[in-house]
Amino acid sequence: MNYQLLLPETFLFLWAILIFVVDFFRKEKKYNLAYLALLGLIITIILVVISQKGDLFGGMFHGDSFATFFNLIFLITGFLTILSSVEYTKKLSSYPGEYFGLILLSMVGMMFLASAGELLTLYVSLELTTIPLFVLAAYRKDDFKSSEAGLKYLILGGMSSALLLFGISLIFGLTGTTFLKEIKTVLIVKYLATGEIGPALILSFIFMIAGLGFKLALVPFHMWVPDVYEGAPTPITAFLSVASKAAGIAAFLRIFFRAFLIFQVDWVLLIAVLASLAMIIGNIIALLQTNIKRMLAYSSIAQIGYIMIGVVSASATGVSSVAFYTFVYMFANMGAFITAITFSNSTGSDEIKDYAGLSRRSPALAAMMAVFMLSLVGIPPLAGFMGKYYLFSSAIEQGYIWLVVVAILTSVISLYYYLGVVRQMYFQNSIDENPQAITVSPALRTALIISVIGVLLFGIFPHIFLNLANQAAMVFLY
Amino acid sequence: MIGLNHFLTLSTILFCIGIFGVLTRRNAIGILMSIELMFNAVNINFVAFSRFVTPTALVGQIFAIFIITIAAAEATVGLAIVLLIYRNFKGINVDNINIMKW
Amino acid sequence: MLTGVSEAVYYILAAIIIGSGVMVVSMKNIFHSALFLVLCFFGVAGIYILLSAEFIAAVQVLIYVGAITILMIFAIMLTARLYSAQIKQSNEQVVPGLIIVSALLVITIFALSKTTWKLSSQAPETQTVAEIGKLLMTTYVLPFEIVSVVLLSALIGAIVIARRD
Repeated sequence: MNYQLLLPETFLFLWAILIFVVDFFRKEKKYNLAYLALLGLIITIILVVISQKGDLFGGMFHGDSFATFFNLIFLITGFLTILSSVEYTKKLSSYPGEYFGLILLSMVGMMFLASAGELLTLYVSLELTTIPLFVLAAYRKDDFKSSEAGLKYLILGGMSSALLLFGISLIFGLTGTTFLKEIKTVLIVKYLATGEIGPALILSFIFMIAGLGFKLALVPFHMWVPDVYEGAPTPITAFLSVASKAAGIAAFLRIFFRAFLIFQVDWVLLIAVLASLAMIIGNIIALLQTNIKRMLAYSSIAQIGYIMIGVVSASATGVSSVAFYTFVYMFANMGAFITAITFSNSTGSDEIKDYAGLSRRSPALAAMMAVFMLSLVGIPPLAGFMGKYYLFSSAIEQGYIWLVVVAILTSVISLYYYLGVVRQMYFQNSIDENPQAITVSPALRTALIISVIGVLLFGIFPHIFLNLANQAAMVFLY
Repeated sequence: MIGLNHFLTLSTILFCIGIFGVLTRRNAIGILMSIELMFNAVNINFVAFSRFVTPTALVGQIFAIFIITIAAAEATVGLAIVLLIYRNFKGINVDNINIMKW
Repeated sequence: MLTGVSEAVYYILAAIIIGSGVMVVSMKNIFHSALFLVLCFFGVAGIYILLSAEFIAAVQVLIYVGAITILMIFAIMLTARLYSAQIKQSNEQVVPGLIIVSALLVITIFALSKTTWKLSSQAPETQTVAEIGKLLMTTYVLPFEIVSVVLLSALIGAIVIARRD
């Protein structure tokens, strides 16, 4: 067996341990451990890029191009999260070292999740992803909202795991195996022999979709999102809204595309309804928000609805458009959150109305925020436009015109609140008589520049990554 | 004869009791206990399937062991957060968590 | 396969599990709920023995009864105010909750009973402990390693959260 396939995951895990150890021996300026974590992430990114392809443990672990693609998403998100946490952890009263170590551990879980070809591995990796996040959400120990966010996230996480497991147990009962590939074979054989599988299969789809729906924050499983996103430390909120969602999508694609693609009539319509609910409700409630974190929380609910359009297509182009959109959504959403972090570090405010006159205070920051907002709406030539274009065309290919109509109408609604931020920054005067420029630390500046380059680059030259996304989708063809 | 369906019915009832507890309990520890009921129901499923569908391969039992382990890890973190809230914010209720809030 | 005695045992255990489960979610005093939780976990351990999974039954008693419920009882006692019986333990969602849950119950039981499972008539494995140990170290070594990382992160997380600064 070729254990080199596990190199990136093992390396990142050992690096997390290294951070805990160094943290133990350092007495002051522990927030500098962020740079150690960043170094580890850069090495892991290189390891992922040069990693070999192949399967391990009889198909329990797939080191394939799909895993590589999602690993890159997790690692870049983690990189931006840690960059934007440097200032933040200076203010933390305690344990900045463990903060970075736990982020890395959560990312190890995500990487295993994206590679899992077996349900037990998938479940255990999912828990490795979420358990550090419960702690990180509650990391501001002096803030009640943060503790409450951690507790709420934990309770919902536990309940959604139980729902997912109930579904998995039924699948296990129907097939007698937990390997996704064998599940598919057993189900096909049974179907060909008897002509039906039985209602337990559909029941297990419902339970698994509900379980993953909580993790992905699909409507109607979204009620935890605004409170958790508002209460958690803002860099962690950004991480939750991108990396943990990407992990959920990877798990969803692994389970449903690897094992149940031939039974798609039984689950695609359910996903289509959930996706349209997410787009409608996410966008409408986002209209009413006055706090930037809550607004981005609801907008991320709507964005997951758009991503699910590609899942509904249940085709290779669908998967590649999902992967590509997740990739560009990462840059735009991380950028928006990093701008919010920068703004709140300087002014202490998360209110959208305080963004008034930002274009005069800090023209560069305002311009970047405008780019991120426009990319989230999907205005050409930004990356969000290309992402939505591929999603919608994959759905039209499969004949889901009504879903695309819903998506376009709700995009128009989203225009209003995303541009509302832009309007505040450019066309409103600051309440302050003599507004100071916003100070942007070097770490935050780097994070912002990476995000803005991502949004522009993949909008103008989408083919660079679209090819990789297509390769990732090929995994599900055989 | 006690067959597979007896055990599945029992686990479904226990699972639903757990969901009911999650939806209606007001305080965090009560909700955590209800979640443990749900995990137990799932484990009954796994062990029963293991006994009746794959009696010689122990996959279902292995799955149950992992679920028990992770339930313990989750409960530990959950109770740590409950204690934190109680210690730092004595005046504020831990017992006001509504899951079905929209 | 299972004779009259095990039938009686099954119904007694099922009654204990369901009865104490209902108590867990409905008791006014949260401390009593925790005690009924212990009873429920013992019942589930009995079910495992009935299913000839002795090792899981032992793990159930050790971890659920010995660790998790004790942890919960500690937490309840440390947050003393919670278990005074005066505090309302249920919210106003009891009626909608009952409706949702009973609908789910009926649908699930109906769907499960309409499904034909591929039953096997082979005799169950008797040397479960050795076999489980072997599987954990061979086929399932990857999740086994990952779960050790999960425990590590839960340990670090719980200390970071619960320790006084």
